[in-house]
Amino acid sequence: MHPILVGPLATAGFSAFLALVISLLDGKLNDYGTVNVTINGGKKKLPVRGGSPLLGTLAGEEIFLPSACGGRGSCGACKCVVTSDVGPYLPTETPYISAEEVSRKIRLACQIKVKKDIEIEIPESLFSIKRFEASVGRVRDLTYDIKEVRFDLRNPSSIDFMPGQYVQLAVPKYGDITESVQRAYSMSSVPGDPGNVELLVRLVPGGIATTWVHKFMKTGDVVQLIGPFGDFQVHDTPSTMVCVAGGSGMAPFKSMFNDMRARDSFPGKEIWFFFGARSTRDMFYLDELRKLEKEWPRFHFVPALSEPKPEEGWNGEIGLITNVLDSHLSAKISAGKPREGYLCGSPGMIDACIKVMTKNGIDPRDIFYDKFA
Amino acid sequence: MSGKYSTIIRDGLWSNNPILFQVLGICSTLAVTNSLRNTFIMTMGVTFSTAFASWNLSLMKDFIPRKVRMIMQVLVISFYVIIVDIILRAYLPEASKQLGPYVGLIITNCILMGRAEAFAAANKPVASFIDGLANGLGYTAILVGIAVVRELLGFGTLLGLRVAPANFVPMTIMIMPPSAFFLVALVAWWAKSLGIRKAAWKQPRQAPSAAR
Amino acid sequence: MPAFSDINPIVLFFASILTSNILLSNFLGTCSFIAISKEWKSSFGLGLAVTLVIGICCAICWTVLQYLVIPLGIEYLSFIIFIIVIAAVVQMLEMVIDRYSPSLYLSLGIFLPLITVNCAVLGAVLFMQIRNYGFLQAVAFGFGAGAGWWLAIMLLAAIRKRIENNPVPAGLKGTGITLIVIGFMAMAFIGFSGMIAVQ
Repeated sequence: MHPILVGPLATAGFSAFLALVISLLDGKLNDYGTVNVTINGGKKKLPVRGGSPLLGTLAGEEIFLPSACGGRGSCGACKCVVTSDVGPYLPTETPYISAEEVSRKIRLACQIKVKKDIEIEIPESLFSIKRFEASVGRVRDLTYDIKEVRFDLRNPSSIDFMPGQYVQLAVPKYGDITESVQRAYSMSSVPGDPGNVELLVRLVPGGIATTWVHKFMKTGDVVQLIGPFGDFQVHDTPSTMVCVAGGSGMAPFKSMFNDMRARDSFPGKEIWFFFGARSTRDMFYLDELRKLEKEWPRFHFVPALSEPKPEEGWNGEIGLITNVLDSHLSAKISAGKPREGYLCGSPGMIDACIKVMTKNGIDPRDIFYDKFA
Repeated sequence: MSGKYSTIIRDGLWSNNPILFQVLGICSTLAVTNSLRNTFIMTMGVTFSTAFASWNLSLMKDFIPRKVRMIMQVLVISFYVIIVDIILRAYLPEASKQLGPYVGLIITNCILMGRAEAFAAANKPVASFIDGLANGLGYTAILVGIAVVRELLGFGTLLGLRVAPANFVPMTIMIMPPSAFFLVALVAWWAKSLGIRKAAWKQPRQAPSAAR
Repeated sequence: MPAFSDINPIVLFFASILTSNILLSNFLGTCSFIAISKEWKSSFGLGLAVTLVIGICCAICWTVLQYLVIPLGIEYLSFIIFIIVIAAVVQMLEMVIDRYSPSLYLSLGIFLPLITVNCAVLGAVLFMQIRNYGFLQAVAFGFGAGAGWWLAIMLLAAIRKRIENNPVPAGLKGTGITLIVIGFMAMAFIGFSGMIAVQ
């Protein structure tokens, strides 16, 4: 045998021997069968092979808790909340966990072994944010400056999100633009259709991403979507939802309403939706929303135009959206029932609406919004 | 793109320096800091191994099954450390003999595994290489500083050349192990007080009227 | 100074605890040493685990070195072989303890994964190789080095408990003051160096 081969072969053979012994021992001693890891109260359930530390088990499922030392218990970064009983705090954990953290059931993921079903809580962002490769599907003009764009997710092929969340659209280089840029857009599609992501994109003069979408993008182009992000979502309370949107701020509400309607979720929650535009050429989804209002008793739709032209024959509310909102809040939407505000649109509109809502007795803590930067 | 790399470099050299702000990885090198020359050789070995191991592990990250990730990291790191060892044996046999087992101990240096796990596992090869290089150099800077102090005060020499005046009395404590701990403590103190000052500066100042 | 290879194993055991403490004079295993020494109980468990692992690994590595590495002439690969042996020993020990003694697992087993790549373990094995120890000496040195590390971390944990209630400059709190204490401990241990020289 050639002398150069001796080293690699001996090392390989020796490692293989030790690996074999470990595998045998592992199979014999460390067999806990399949156990379930339940994340964030059932949002995700992962059947995994038991017997390994939580940190590595999660990494095997592509969920990466922060860790600087690689699971050796010397950095204390991989903290997470474990709500089910996994035994007392280990001496390897205590140096890193304060008394306050103990009361919140925070553990070190690298020190806890998954031997039976376990329930944990981790930041949502950790298990669902992914980078998606998607191709441009159907594109529709909703108004002269707003496009509805559907993306077909290719890899990964489905997205898990809450209605109201947004994604970052990474726009490829084009024309004079030499760097890829990312812009955030709320998803108007529903979680029930996880293979597609739909965004409403309004043309902003001079905007790099919106210009690309409106002037350069073709069906079949491949883009990257990163997400989902954001905590703008329907809150599980009995309060009446008072939603206000302008322009492409329609997107998160379209997703929320369609999802609530499809799954009949949050039953008993009444919904008022105010949508403001300047004139009919800025108005869209009017027929769809009016049809939804007719079929769905707890949904009320109030479109309003601030400057309708006489020849347009507008038969809805007229005036600034804040005035329309004010008159409805003071007269039609009972103050006897708790109400919460949901706002999506330009910063100016949102600030004005917050004022109107607080004036009408809605607690500022119950007003949620998604401002366009 | 260049902005991203300069952030990585700044993090490694300064704002996230492995010794200054994490006190990681001193085990394998502290023992040789009573000689500037040996320190320099060791830290260069660490820098070389960190940079290449990070690069290599980043290349391999999509092919390694999760279960054996840690052992693969150790094997890749050992590979580069063995290269360092062989190079030292061939070209600097004297230093290699003095360093003894410490060259092999680069394998267990926390910085190598730390960068592999914290950076290379999630980043592209070139960025990982730069990250490894920057962290290695940040590490080098601090330890070379410690070695300068120890050799200068302990022997009155630098790189073996006498620099102290003839009437200089060498401080024997400086070549003994305790001084290394004291010096690292001073470095950590300095780094932490910088951090404290930074935090204090960031706090919003109270409006003068509120004080009245 | 006697050659390394003909020191009485019993003398070697005590020498590696006191006169050439692997932590205080060779700086090995400092990372987990600083992190864990905050807690007395944790320090005890980790120290015990380190002692066991260093002892066992020194014995196994000595055997592998003498009967596999040296006969095949692949000393240049010894780093990789040692690290594999250490990783395998640690993993096997952990599995066995976890299965057969849950109480021992809680007090000792959980520390094992922490020391797979602990510098002290590999360091002791490499010293053992370089100094050409015989089998008994290797075992004595291994357990001695581990026990020295154990002693050091217990002492430090006790001192740190005391420091907690003392005024320490803000910048020195935590790592800084701990390093200074380790420095003083190292000075104290220099006092043993007249007893026997193994280095």
